[in-house]
Amino acid sequence: MVVLAMRNLFRNTRRTLITVLAITFGLAMVHLTITLQTGSYADLIRTGVSSMAGHVVVQAKGYQEEKDGDLVLTRTAEISQRLAKAFPEGTIAPRLVLGGLITSPRGSVGAAVSGIDGAAEAKLQEIDEHVVQGTWLTGDARGIVIGRDMADALQVGFGDKVVYMGQHGGATEVSSRLFRVIGIFRMGNADLDGFVAFVDLPAAQEAFGQPDVANQVTVHLPDPNRSPAAAAEARTLLADIDGIEVLDWKQALPELFALIEVDKTSGDVMLFLLGAIVAMGALNTVLMAALERTREFGVMLALGLRPQQLARLILTEGLLLGLMGAGLGLVVGTALSWPLVHYGLDYSAYMGDTYETAGVVLSSVIKGRFNPLRMTTYTIAATFMTAAAAIYPAVQVARLQPVEAMRHT
Amino acid sequence: MSIVHVSDLHREYQQGAVTVKALRGVDLTIEPGEFTALMGPSGSGKTTLLNMIGALDRPTSGKLLVDGKDLASLSSSQLSDLRLHRLGFIFQSYNLIPVLSALENAEFVLQLQGMARDERRKRVRETLAQVGLAGMEDRRPGELSGGQQQRVAVARAIAGKPALVLADEPTANLDSATAQGLIELMEKLNHEHGITFLFATHDPRVMEAAHRVVRMVDGKVAEDLRK
Repeated sequence: MVVLAMRNLFRNTRRTLITVLAITFGLAMVHLTITLQTGSYADLIRTGVSSMAGHVVVQAKGYQEEKDGDLVLTRTAEISQRLAKAFPEGTIAPRLVLGGLITSPRGSVGAAVSGIDGAAEAKLQEIDEHVVQGTWLTGDARGIVIGRDMADALQVGFGDKVVYMGQHGGATEVSSRLFRVIGIFRMGNADLDGFVAFVDLPAAQEAFGQPDVANQVTVHLPDPNRSPAAAAEARTLLADIDGIEVLDWKQALPELFALIEVDKTSGDVMLFLLGAIVAMGALNTVLMAALERTREFGVMLALGLRPQQLARLILTEGLLLGLMGAGLGLVVGTALSWPLVHYGLDYSAYMGDTYETAGVVLSSVIKGRFNPLRMTTYTIAATFMTAAAAIYPAVQVARLQPVEAMRHT
Repeated sequence: MSIVHVSDLHREYQQGAVTVKALRGVDLTIEPGEFTALMGPSGSGKTTLLNMIGALDRPTSGKLLVDGKDLASLSSSQLSDLRLHRLGFIFQSYNLIPVLSALENAEFVLQLQGMARDERRKRVRETLAQVGLAGMEDRRPGELSGGQQQRVAVARAIAGKPALVLADEPTANLDSATAQGLIELMEKLNHEHGITFLFATHDPRVMEAAHRVVRMVDGKVAEDLRK
């Protein structure tokens, strides 16, 4: 049956090859898209999680909904120590974000001042590598690192003094603190370069007016997939501390997770439509090939072939067509994706060095990443969609009556 | 027991508003080992009767027994099995499968019967040798002459050792010498192996070779002549 089906396919070699190539290139495009999607999602998650959350996020109850800077943890050092002991392979990063005003003798800007552990964040984020003047945070309680655009707006440079002013923790008066600019960074993103500043956590706690506080203590693990289990572990570990909540990354960044899911789903719909178009091509080939052989099918039925066996022959032809197209599609798709995985797709000429998605600043060189599971799934799906395209012709030939079929010319 | 027993067989077709009466009460019995020719002008019902006996079409009314089985009581699958195991077919235009070799075409029926490969190949090689095609097993139909193709069709028809071979105008597309050779081959198969043949034909050489000639006119048997 398989030999006969294969020979039947190559009765009209040109038509079969065109169909196989249509499946091949359709599937290769699918593999390319999957590779790019997987790479960009991985980058988005890695950067988003490291800069905006963590694989485990401990924060004051209500902070997730309110995002109120005054909702703080009050035993930051103890929580950090416990987490460091429980997750020795991870990086612990406490964060306290202060909203306020930064002023210089020549200007002022509204700013989000992030109080962080400079050494820990340098391991997690790439901001320290974007310092274009001065240094990254060094543990200097008076040091502040600001963006290039903020420096321009304040007309300050390395070594100049700036004053942070803000109102925190239910205080009735505005507190202020003097800093010296020890570094200026340039990310190529207007929000980051214009409105974000970094100081060491103790300095931020002092500006907040309360020691040992932070909005979040985050844990960053080498294996992102451990996030839910690690969060559950941390919940047990910190169960004795009241007024806190422990989240995994998907709970901490629901918008980012939803964005990826929506994008993935809409991508799947597009890929399915592409598959359906290719399957229509396969249907055309199998149907035409079947109609051309109506007389021959009549003879086969006359010789004793059962209608179900005839239908199986047509389905086998569809399956073989699918196997050839999908197999080649996997090879071609992998070959075309390889440069994307190793060199990436460089959009810097159109978008600058970085671009922003869902509040996450990403490099404009998008690197692909192979996704064996999805690539295999789509290869199998393409094979079966092509085989499924043969169902209609198979049903048609199974209904043939030998005498009428043999009269067909 | 008769191989074929036909009694008061009718077959009507609807062609638009017109009812065509192709068979109008045919009575016929074929015994094992016969070499019978059905003759008659075009439209006399020869091919229709052959299709009925070959379980390729169902009668409108009447009784039709083939190999002792009442075809009216058989399902479509049972009819397929009857064709596969008990009947052989030879068509006017050979009707070989173009992508299969002579050997593969001839073994097609045996393959459907589920015969083991080695046994199948052995029998088909013997059968092809019987019909004079030894050495041509691997040729495809396009590489064979009309006469050779019809010999492959004969090999295909007899390889499964059927009770009855039905041949519809088997010599119509062949030149005179080739047709004569084919008739002699079928006579030999009938004589030496006792295979029963029923032909629908216009060919006087087939009628001459036949042991019995049934003449049909207007969907009825007009004459039944045994030599």
